[in-house]
Amino acid sequence: MLDSLPYELPELVTRAPLDTHRSTVLPEWVDWNGHMNVAFYVTAFDQASGAFMRNMGLGRRYVDGKLGMTFVLETHVTYDREMREGAPMRFSTQLLARDAKKVHLFHEMFHGEQGYLAATNETIVMNIDYATRRSAPWPAPVAVRLEELWQTHKDLLKPAKAGRVMGLSKK
Amino acid sequence: MKLPPYPMVEPDLSAPFDQHRATVLPEWIDWNGHMNVGFYVVAFDKATDTLANQFGCSWDYTREKIGMTFVIEAHVTYDREVKEGDPLRITSQILDHDAKRLHFIHCMYHGSEGYLAATNELMMMNIDYETRRSAPWPDWAMERLDKMAAAHKKLPVPAQAGRLIGIKRKK
Repeated sequence: MLDSLPYELPELVTRAPLDTHRSTVLPEWVDWNGHMNVAFYVTAFDQASGAFMRNMGLGRRYVDGKLGMTFVLETHVTYDREMREGAPMRFSTQLLARDAKKVHLFHEMFHGEQGYLAATNETIVMNIDYATRRSAPWPAPVAVRLEELWQTHKDLLKPAKAGRVMGLSKK
Repeated sequence: MKLPPYPMVEPDLSAPFDQHRATVLPEWIDWNGHMNVGFYVVAFDKATDTLANQFGCSWDYTREKIGMTFVIEAHVTYDREVKEGDPLRITSQILDHDAKRLHFIHCMYHGSEGYLAATNELMMMNIDYETRRSAPWPDWAMERLDKMAAAHKKLPVPAQAGRLIGIKRKK
């Protein structure tokens, strides 16, 4: 485990849920159906996970400094409504669980102006040692920040769309 | 039976469906030096097009303004890294279907080394072009889907299907 990180960490945001990430649907994210393609919802959510990690102190400098990386292990998306080119997006992020190496996150994507829920994403992200490319415990200062965030998130209600198993309900 | 106003490809009832091939493009690589999580889904979505072509609901279907297929839910497991230029083989297995929906899973393998790189379980819905709302599959699609589903029924359900996301929670 890394005992420290060789750069200054940003001021920790502990709002529950986190609500700082914003984005816009890019032209190249739109497919032949005239809306944001399924894959780019995942890209947009991945950027929201990136914002979560920056808040933890694991931004670009963590990778560029050859200290570590974060890998997504598994992800689940519900596509609730279409998004068109240029649409503004607002994200909210809830920490559902954490352990020594992983976080379990739940993101919601809203249309930035109209306010409707466009999609949700439940995801598991793991800390990776740069040299071995294998899982490793969070760096010590990150573990501390994660605990601080957990204290504000642990009592939030579990979102209705979290913990879904896919299947057709037969009549 | 109603036929589409374009030719359909020869039916392929091999189980699983195993036609889709791709290569990891340079622009699919992120700062961790491997295919980014969003582009796994880009690659899987192209395999979905190859599958949908089997039942006459791919690009021709939308170009002729008959209908579209929307993904309403997706689950991805990221099992191993793939790098720029790696060949990919993607198989598709139908798990279930009804009048409007199709539940299936793709498995992505490294094309030459053979290892499983990722899986993508999907719920897809048929959409009427005009109303952009759900509608029953056209006759030609239902006939092919019934046959493919019957052929795939003998396959074991992959362990990655029907997964619930989570990490073991500590007190």
